[in-house]
Amino acid sequence: MNQILAPRVGPGAALIAMVVGGTLAAAGLGMIAVALLALTGDGEEIGVFAGVGALVLIVGLLGIGLSSGRERDAAAVRPYLGFAAVTLAWLSAAIVGAVPLLLIGTFGNPIDAFFESMSGFTTTGATLLENFDQPDAVFWWRSVMQYLGGIGIVVLVVAIAPVSGTGIQRAFYAEVSGVTADRLTPRIIDTAKILAGIYGVLTAFAFIAYEVTGMSPFEALNHTMTTVATGGFSTNPESIAGFDSVGVELVALFVMILAGVNFAFYWRAIKGRDLMPQLAEVRAYLMILSGAIVAVTISLLIAGDVEGLATTVREAAFSVTTVMTGTGYVTGDFDGWNDFARVLIVMMMFTGACAGSTCGGIKVIRISLLFKAARQEIERQLQPSAVQVLRMGGRPFSEQVRRAVLGFFLLYVLVYALGSLAMAGTGVDPITAISGSATTLNIVGPGLGEIGATDSFTGIPEGGRLVGSALMLIGRLEIFTVVALLAPLFRSRKAMS
Amino acid sequence: MRVIVVGAGEVGVNLARVLGADGHEVTIIENSPGRCGTLEGELDALVVEGNGASPRVLREIGLGRIDLLAAVTQIDEVNLIAAMGAKQLNPAMTTVARVRDPDFALEEEDEDDESSRGPFGIDFVIDPDDATAHDIAEAVLLPGAVSVEYFGDGRLGLAEVIVSEESPLAGQPLSDRDRTEPSYIVGWTRAGNPKLAKGEDVLLAGDHLIVAAAREHLALTVARFAGKAREVKRCIVFGGGRIGTRLAQILESTPVRVTVLEREAEQARRVAERLGATLVLHEEGVSRDALLQSGVGEADAFIASAGDDRANLLAALNAKRLGADLCLSVVSREEFVPLVDALDIDAAFSPRLITAEAILRFVHTRALRAMHFLRSGFEALELEVEDGASIVGQEIGRTRGVLRGCRVGAVLRDGEVLIPEVGTELRAGDRVLMLGVDGTLAGVEPAFAAPS
Repeated sequence: MNQILAPRVGPGAALIAMVVGGTLAAAGLGMIAVALLALTGDGEEIGVFAGVGALVLIVGLLGIGLSSGRERDAAAVRPYLGFAAVTLAWLSAAIVGAVPLLLIGTFGNPIDAFFESMSGFTTTGATLLENFDQPDAVFWWRSVMQYLGGIGIVVLVVAIAPVSGTGIQRAFYAEVSGVTADRLTPRIIDTAKILAGIYGVLTAFAFIAYEVTGMSPFEALNHTMTTVATGGFSTNPESIAGFDSVGVELVALFVMILAGVNFAFYWRAIKGRDLMPQLAEVRAYLMILSGAIVAVTISLLIAGDVEGLATTVREAAFSVTTVMTGTGYVTGDFDGWNDFARVLIVMMMFTGACAGSTCGGIKVIRISLLFKAARQEIERQLQPSAVQVLRMGGRPFSEQVRRAVLGFFLLYVLVYALGSLAMAGTGVDPITAISGSATTLNIVGPGLGEIGATDSFTGIPEGGRLVGSALMLIGRLEIFTVVALLAPLFRSRKAMS
Repeated sequence: MRVIVVGAGEVGVNLARVLGADGHEVTIIENSPGRCGTLEGELDALVVEGNGASPRVLREIGLGRIDLLAAVTQIDEVNLIAAMGAKQLNPAMTTVARVRDPDFALEEEDEDDESSRGPFGIDFVIDPDDATAHDIAEAVLLPGAVSVEYFGDGRLGLAEVIVSEESPLAGQPLSDRDRTEPSYIVGWTRAGNPKLAKGEDVLLAGDHLIVAAAREHLALTVARFAGKAREVKRCIVFGGGRIGTRLAQILESTPVRVTVLEREAEQARRVAERLGATLVLHEEGVSRDALLQSGVGEADAFIASAGDDRANLLAALNAKRLGADLCLSVVSREEFVPLVDALDIDAAFSPRLITAEAILRFVHTRALRAMHFLRSGFEALELEVEDGASIVGQEIGRTRGVLRGCRVGAVLRDGEVLIPEVGTELRAGDRVLMLGVDGTLAGVEPAFAAPS
């Protein structure tokens, strides 16, 4: 295409318009879906969702329309724009998601509505909701937000909307988690469709399983959406504990574990492809999970925190799984356990589940690689000229991956430290500040202290809620995407000094 | 048999020489006019100047009458095209190609299809680096031996053993040797000259011994005659090229702990990626310090397998000084091989000679009678004693007149390995491994054949 016919909208702006527009369209469709779902129950809030949804959908479609039909030159879309587009998309989703909650009056304060919405889309599951006497539509919306955010809004948009064009992969990789890009197919759109398909299968499985346990369709569908997304919102004020059903707990447990596995692993397994290194990660994931469950169980038995062996195992297994997968459902009040168990629970938040799943945290593959890198550093002291290769399941990783993993960990710790400091600065006690920034950065949900397993985030002041919202976004997008946006600040600072 | 050899390098010339001596009609195609000129006088073969991969050249020679084409130039693609082209022009022909790049050596998926064993329908693909690595690995895994060859469906082994100073054979007549394990001493080489053994021969340290034994006795026999041979537990491979990497890969599946030294940082990284348990060290030089750092003093074996002959010899010599037990070196250029005997290096491995040997072994099953050990100079021939043959009923040891200049290495009778002694009679139905030097096997066959 020659210069004269070149579009007035630059390739970067077109990408942002497309990604943000697509996200808004998805959120709008979600709201309309909520309006339809709410038709089955008491339907006074249908109008709000239908109206806002239609508006957001139209704005979103306009954004897509603005960008489509333009020749997008991949080379012109710098990585920075990909990061910007994705961050903006998630921010705008959280903002429009807050609108219905404000209009209906669930929250009086925009910051609270924004926090709840951000917690929804990032699948954190931290809530400010204390009064569970809300219209069905509010619960539907909380679940739909998590369901959309679980697989990743951009992935959904790529899978469904006609957003072909070369710039989109920048946005795609800015959202998908993992140490290396797991492109399953030559075309990014097909990859997104596969991911969405796996998500769909998990959804169907979870819904049927919940139905079998005797949940009402309303409860079953809501919990299906929040479990496969490892979100953690519940329609019950006491979360999963409110059902007091071994069946429900088992289904939740099983689906959480499944959702914590790298989706690429399922795809490779189905296709009969080489399973490495995903299989190694899955193995490590299950080993860490069971190891932590055993450790917590033993500590609970020694401290006598929970009565009865069966109950102890049940609560330990559920709690460890729910924090490790970043879901945030609650069955036992782990904040009331011994300190060893409490600290281990916070550590499991950081470990997270597999890369390429719906979970948060550092991710098992990075944890494994970090341990291996640490061991190699020690070995290098003994044999300085040794050539060391970072491996997972026999597959070697390049030195760039080693650097990326170490860099990721460095930034993660840094962001966490600053987040804890900021949280403490808003006037909460140290335990709450430290666990609160851990649970939001790792997109888990509950924490310790004021925000313990049975408490909501209302114990944290407004400033802390904003810090938490920021940490949720940074954590969901795996640090780099958001932090990279700040890079120009550092660059200009350097130029001045 | 009519044979075409493409490429008159070391491999090609060795092939042409052995095949020609065996009575086959050899045509050798060589691209370089200068090389062609010198060949005319050296070989009893027709020398054609041209590109062996060219269909025009092949057609001019007339492939219809050719039974075997061996493409052994230095360039993989030329060899592949020559072999594939020849097969297309004459599908009945047997083709052999020397291919170094392992990417070409993909196994055919359909193993039942006899017509195309190797990739691209080529009958036999030889990778010099892989073959060399396997030979070295055998020497490392069978301590004391530098090479082993098996006969009679693997029941009988023929090993080349280095005689050390601690060897009970050194300084004593062969007839006084320990006979705890049944074995047959075929011959020995000193400074590269092969000789058939006699009872009164006295071996010196540094000589190589050729000994035949049943597979189950081979390891003990080799260890006993070699003298100080001990099991290799730690092995240092100098040079992470193709041979070094492949060798480390083979040894990784054994209990031997391997350390690879590589001078280029990027290559070291690639090697480390390809290997698992092996320790890969990036050391800039062949210096004494670098070798000591790698633990050469405690190594049971040191294998110099870098691309540079001089560096290999230097490193192997250094390693020997620093205390490595078994020092082997890859030596690519033929002219360096005799040097190894003069130096304090236990054995040299020439990829080109190994390649030529492997091709001869393949051809041996189809056309060649004797198997040639280009490195030690010995030849072996497996024969069956037919009913009524003149050799039937003869006692071994009294057959000198019939089997002049060769030896009965071992007899396979009813599935058992029989080590010949004076007095053993040959029966019809025996399978006999005959050994000789310098073409002495050429005339033995009639003695084994049924009278016509």
